[in-house]
Amino acid sequence: MTNSATNLATARATYQKIADNISQIMRGQSEATRHLLAALASGGHVLLEDYPGTGKTTLAKALAKSIDASFKRLQFTPDLLPSDILGVSIFNQRDQQFHFHEGPVFTNILLADEINRASPRTQSALLEAMGENQVSVEGERRNLPELFFVIATENPVEFRGTYPLPEAQMDRFAMQFTLGYVSPEEEVAVLTAQEHQHPIEELKSAVTLADVIALKRAVENIRISDELKRYVVDLVAATRKVSGVQLGASPRASLALMKTAQALALFEGADFVTPEQIQKLAVPVIAHRLVLEPQARFSGLTARSVVQDIVKKIKVPA
Amino acid sequence: MKTPPFLLLAVLVFWGWQSDLLILGALMGVALESSRFIKTRWDLSTDDFRRLWNFCVLLAGALALYVFSTNEGGGGFGTLVHGSAAGRTATLSGLHTASTLARWMPMMFFLFIAAQNFSERETIPLSAISLIFRRRQQNAVGIKPEWYVNIAYPYFIVCLFSASIHANEGAHTFFGGEGVLLAWALWPLRARRFNFAIWISTFLLALALAYAGSRGIGQLAQLAQNYNAQWMTRWLSSRPDPTQAMTAIGQIGELQMSSAIVIRMETKNGAPPPSYLREASYHSYRSQTWFAGGSHNEFLDIPAAANSGGTAYDLVPGKTNTADVSIACYINGWSSELSVPESLLPLPSGSGRLENIPSSVVAVKQNLTGGVLAAGPGFLIFDARYGAGATLDSPPNTNWDLTVPTNEIPALEQIVAELKISSTNPAQVELAVAQFFANKFTYSTWQRPDKTPHPNETPLARFLLRTRSGHCEYFATATVLLLRELGIRTRYAVGYYAHEADGENQYVVRGRDAHAWCLVWNDTTKAWEDFDTTPGSWVATESQRAHAWQSIKDFFSWLHFQFSKFRWGQSHLRRYILWAVIPMMGFLLYQIVFRRGRKRQAQKSNNKNSGAIPWPGLDSEFYQLETKIAARGLPRQSGEALSDWLARALAENTLADLRAPLAELLRLHYRHRFDPNGLNAEERKSLAQKVNTVLKTLAEK
Repeated sequence: MTNSATNLATARATYQKIADNISQIMRGQSEATRHLLAALASGGHVLLEDYPGTGKTTLAKALAKSIDASFKRLQFTPDLLPSDILGVSIFNQRDQQFHFHEGPVFTNILLADEINRASPRTQSALLEAMGENQVSVEGERRNLPELFFVIATENPVEFRGTYPLPEAQMDRFAMQFTLGYVSPEEEVAVLTAQEHQHPIEELKSAVTLADVIALKRAVENIRISDELKRYVVDLVAATRKVSGVQLGASPRASLALMKTAQALALFEGADFVTPEQIQKLAVPVIAHRLVLEPQARFSGLTARSVVQDIVKKIKVPA
Repeated sequence: MKTPPFLLLAVLVFWGWQSDLLILGALMGVALESSRFIKTRWDLSTDDFRRLWNFCVLLAGALALYVFSTNEGGGGFGTLVHGSAAGRTATLSGLHTASTLARWMPMMFFLFIAAQNFSERETIPLSAISLIFRRRQQNAVGIKPEWYVNIAYPYFIVCLFSASIHANEGAHTFFGGEGVLLAWALWPLRARRFNFAIWISTFLLALALAYAGSRGIGQLAQLAQNYNAQWMTRWLSSRPDPTQAMTAIGQIGELQMSSAIVIRMETKNGAPPPSYLREASYHSYRSQTWFAGGSHNEFLDIPAAANSGGTAYDLVPGKTNTADVSIACYINGWSSELSVPESLLPLPSGSGRLENIPSSVVAVKQNLTGGVLAAGPGFLIFDARYGAGATLDSPPNTNWDLTVPTNEIPALEQIVAELKISSTNPAQVELAVAQFFANKFTYSTWQRPDKTPHPNETPLARFLLRTRSGHCEYFATATVLLLRELGIRTRYAVGYYAHEADGENQYVVRGRDAHAWCLVWNDTTKAWEDFDTTPGSWVATESQRAHAWQSIKDFFSWLHFQFSKFRWGQSHLRRYILWAVIPMMGFLLYQIVFRRGRKRQAQKSNNKNSGAIPWPGLDSEFYQLETKIAARGLPRQSGEALSDWLARALAENTLADLRAPLAELLRLHYRHRFDPNGLNAEERKSLAQKVNTVLKTLAEK
């Protein structure tokens, strides 16, 4: 076995361990888990948009617990300030100096709960952190840890007192997906599991931080042919020509689609990307970046259906 | 979807054979099939196809117009704008036009399919043909798809349909040829899942059902025709029949009359128009119907007058005619003998000569009771010269012209008693009768239902004795019979009463001006004279029934008149149409086909399409498998990835044992295609071998 093959096998094992661990808590959400891990492994961030009580926070917590990494949770409110996220320098009387106190952003996994309830100014504070993996506070640049993964949640039914995320911020999220309601059988299983105690309390970490970083490295080594790169670009470019769409997806979307497809290929045991993986990820990676014209929205068009249509119409390499 | 080689040639030859255009059909077929060997292609855009399509549709329209105006069938768009009985002949002529057009359809759309076969895509964008698709594409939210179709198969169907119009070799040859062509066309499209026996038996069953169906429809049509024959005749007698005139005497309710213009007249030099335009006269009255006795055979051909070049006819030879009127009327009847429109002409009283009869009139005939029949076009403009004196009616016949039906005699005798006429001078008798009707009777188109039944009373007796109110048919019939009772020879005449001026020297006659009156024999002048006892108020009464939008209706009536003039070659317009259409079509064609930069020597494979980039691994043998499995009736959609498609295609139970080897093959194929490292030589060989093994297994299924 070559060295790279060993690395791949280890990385796949890491993925399997995390996925198994999460599935103990999250019943019937294997696809969501897979998407979440694809984003994690490809260095992207995730926006979960779903109704209250479907397990968004639990999923984030389960992921954090499965990895032996630091996890912080930040509840967004209208009066939250950027310094509440990034940190603040406080004057120490004893040594007569300012000392920087790191905010919750200095962590490995950050759960930004109900991100659309904070003011745009505070939301923007996250931008640099998510895009550049660094923050600038008081003119000083501070690097974030190598594994920095933001899981933001959003509630689609609330409108009062919310600030819709700006398009630029939407674009920073590699993926957006929903968890959705599980089947009645699965829901019964959830009830049974929590009869006495929430199982998440007993969840042990399955992998170390180093394992996850190795996983990220392994994903970068997954091969992708030029033809499939072209297919990715064709899919993303098609969103810019669709009538009824005001703003199509950016090249950043192509990049995210390629990287997450690489991660998915690794999870599925391949060492190169196939068209199926790109098709599976097209909707969660592209749809949230589109801005539809109001008229098209009223006529029943959704960003998801636009992307689904494109996947169906564009000739897939075979 | 392309048709199999030479199918189009075969169907065009078949069409040519069935429609007597064999050489043309063969030429067209060869031209279409030559696209398989000639590599020259035109770069036609959606707009070009749209223009070509519009051209073909315009061509069809122009041909329809041309065929309609040249076939000497009869009729026009009569029923649309005109209330008369043109419908029947219009149907026949319309049928003729429709069948001619249907027969020519392969020619009309040849240009379009040729454009498809010689275009680079070899397909046609649907939005070029269908307004719905064009609109849908313009309004589409979401992705805007352009649907491309190959119209070879639809064209094949059109050719078959056109061939069916002229099955002059008998239905069996046509049916056999059609069956063979259909089998040929459908064979490449069959689902390979089913074996040959199932396919051929299904096909034969469909053919048998179609044959039985077509026979059944024929028999049903026959049945309906027999059943309908009587019912149909109700609509066929709306124009006067020279042998009999059914009156509305005795009918209860309102007499409905059309206000459409049926005749136009123009007099010369401000002369007054003739008041009465007679179409026919009758001599015997039986149960509310007037008869002229005999049949069509009584009509005798009138030879064209000498030195007139066939444009004039002498009705009463040697008569001096003082007045002249130009009459335009529709010929709405149908001559089953000559298969052309034919009907009685409305002529002024005392007509002696017809002039300026167009050459399209094939025959002019007259009978003993003064009816003149013209056959030929569906619309006629002619000049009638007329004057006092002898008429073309036969001299009085004592047997006919004094006969009164026995059941009417009691009522008439009561009236004669009431009149108390002492004189035997015909002029005085007539005056007394006219005064009697004028003073004691009123005009009405409305007949009340009878509250107290009088079982033995005839409708005419009821009019004479009790109601004393009725329309012109009552007055004319009563007058004719009353004068006969008084010993004067009379006949019953029908036609029109002309009174409405429409511009200088112009007069129009409407449907509601239809009239009936009395012809009285004048012994001194030896001529039949018009004698009308209907109260003069009838004209005013009828005119009151004019609609508020009469002028609009008149406008359409005028349009129809002009159209009929053109349609029946009574104007020069028809000649111009060809001269207008040909250059216009030529210009359009030039615009479409020969615009600069349009033609390009293109090879069938060009590098513009992304699909043509030589990506690695396109030589994979896996594609043979894909073609084979797709041929079983489950083709892969353009956006469907291979594994999704395989899952769908292999759901069939018979292919269950192929699932595992195919999954392994797909992995290999994908590595060959999408792994930048590719396969090594050994793996490449094994891919080919494994595909071969699976192909063999598949062939056995």
